[in-house]
Amino acid sequence: MSALPNRTEPTPARPALTRTAPPRSAFPAMTPARWMVTGVLVALAAVIPLVMTNQYALSVMVTTLVLLVLNISWNFVLGVAGVWNFGQLAIYALGGYGAGIIMLHTSLSPWLAVLAGGVVAAFAAVLLAFPTLRLYGIYTSLLTFAFAEVIEYVIVNDGSGLTGGTFGLPIVKGLYASLSLAASARAYYWTVLAVVVVSTIVLAAVGHSRLGIALRGIRDAPAYAAARGVSPMRYRVIAFAVSGFLAGIAGGLYVSYNQSISPSAMGLTPMSIDVTMLVIGGLGTATGPIIGTVLLAIVQTALVSHPGAELTILGIFLLVVVVFVPDGLAGLAARYWRRVSTWAAEDDQSGEAAGQEVAGQEVAGQETGGQETAEPGAAAEIPEGSPDPNVA
Amino acid sequence: MAATDIVGIAVTTIILGSIYGLVAIGMTLIYGTLRILDMSQGSMVMVGSFVGWGILVVAGLNPVIAIAAAFVATFILGALTQLVSVQPLMKRRNAIDFEMVTFITTFAVAMILTNVALELLGPQQRNVTPVISGGVNIYHGVNLPYQSMAMAIVSITMMAGLGIFLARTRWGMAIRAVAQDLDAARLMGVPVGKLYPLTMGLASALAGVAGVFLGGLYFAYPQAGDLPLLEALIVVIFGGLGSLPGTVYAAYAIGLIQATAEVLVGTTWSLPILYGVILFVLIIRPYGLLGKPSEARL
Repeated sequence: MSALPNRTEPTPARPALTRTAPPRSAFPAMTPARWMVTGVLVALAAVIPLVMTNQYALSVMVTTLVLLVLNISWNFVLGVAGVWNFGQLAIYALGGYGAGIIMLHTSLSPWLAVLAGGVVAAFAAVLLAFPTLRLYGIYTSLLTFAFAEVIEYVIVNDGSGLTGGTFGLPIVKGLYASLSLAASARAYYWTVLAVVVVSTIVLAAVGHSRLGIALRGIRDAPAYAAARGVSPMRYRVIAFAVSGFLAGIAGGLYVSYNQSISPSAMGLTPMSIDVTMLVIGGLGTATGPIIGTVLLAIVQTALVSHPGAELTILGIFLLVVVVFVPDGLAGLAARYWRRVSTWAAEDDQSGEAAGQEVAGQEVAGQETGGQETAEPGAAAEIPEGSPDPNVA
Repeated sequence: MAATDIVGIAVTTIILGSIYGLVAIGMTLIYGTLRILDMSQGSMVMVGSFVGWGILVVAGLNPVIAIAAAFVATFILGALTQLVSVQPLMKRRNAIDFEMVTFITTFAVAMILTNVALELLGPQQRNVTPVISGGVNIYHGVNLPYQSMAMAIVSITMMAGLGIFLARTRWGMAIRAVAQDLDAARLMGVPVGKLYPLTMGLASALAGVAGVFLGGLYFAYPQAGDLPLLEALIVVIFGGLGSLPGTVYAAYAIGLIQATAEVLVGTTWSLPILYGVILFVLIIRPYGLLGKPSEARL
């Protein structure tokens, strides 16, 4: 209670966790150096199943990667579009059930079933979007949260036998039914890794496209964006559809790999874990979901024998990160990286650099440097051509 | 629809509405005063159930003591929740995302409470002795358990008590003053720093008392707060966040919808039907029954 809070209702501007210090290089431009680092990391990740012989570790990694696909999709609607959709797990589960039921009852190729799961989920997401997007702020999260709970409730209490109620679907074939257990685990690992890489790149590209700019504009300054002719409804429905489709694909991959899906895939506990992953990693950034998911998967695996302690620790993590590091670990890393680059730039230019970390507001020309614009209004206060350490 | 159905619906409406109201009114009180949505409210119901179980079953004491103990325990826990998860963020309260950040921190508290309970007490469902056993046959076959009757009476008394507290007492008026105009309240010498934990403690205590009764109706277990939380969320959206009368009306309206759906189509579909009705209402009135449009909409 230090400062006197101003009681007037603030203009809705930026419903994301990163109000004070927005992550500026949320979707950084891909310089050759960055492409190389990314390539090396992907190659390293791809080699793991060849080196690793431990089946348990491999299965944990596949599960984590599936979760990562879900988190990337959620990050798009939550962080980039800024819609507080807490129904993503229900959409994911609908995709999974859709794919699983198609695999069970038809002889279609399982790949088509996974795609169909994505389409089912995208459809559900669009249906959810219309009433949700009429609401604002906290009402959005309430409605979507209630939507997720109701979907779970309906599946648990489903008496028709279509979903199998609490016990879930009977065993489905999955994508690699003909392979041996060890070989199929590897095949799944590479498949899901490919989905992760492709979706990260595609969504990062979308972040730089008209759609991404429109979405961030609507998130940061809805009234201004609407006044400039950017329809919040239209773009956000598109964001829901894109994110829903990817979540559905994640669900389809989940049902294929686990050969089943039950309501335990959704619900409050998995949602708590996923939210924690996203917030700890850094919402609205390209690397945040990856950092958060991988880090928490490691923590979870270490604590696997104490289910209660695990979530307690995650809860404490979440609390500490939200209070002390509001832009997540990706934001923290970016800030430190920026500080180091600023020092380097100062050395190079012998103190000419104005990059005194003016509350992280140095901004390159709008999108021209491929850099993301920081806070709305910040660009206006920055003298033209102030050096941005990130561009160099 | 037979006459028994109508009597049954009426009785269920009053019971469900009272219990929803008791959990949801705390959320509304907190939202009105602090502008946060308290996701730990469900865990307070769970804690109340376990305190009820501890006093009634393990210690074998009087129900009045159980209710009082649940009130005190959840009051302290609620005040602590405010100090841990909301107070450190108060300096950011003008940011547009304040609601969302506190939504997440109180959610983290709920996560911690649920899982501490899971670790300490285990996942099994525990039977809480009903506060009062037995029942009375009020109309051809419509049985009214005394437990439900007591629940409705206590809930209504507590809601009325809250109303009187807010309208008549010094602290109650201070809470209302802060909800209306924080700066003016501060200038009039309202100790805002003490008021916030008090408000959240009070709201949590209401949920805790509801928990003692809900534990008797269902069970005490670590996830016992999830469903009450969902129902309270639906009630507060429906009633309009921050409006106490709206919350009370919404609680009974939702009790009525759910009771009717249960009698006509069965328990399985009562929640989805309820959700459908809420969706319909929100499409017409996106800020709930009595919510203020300016707060809810762009």
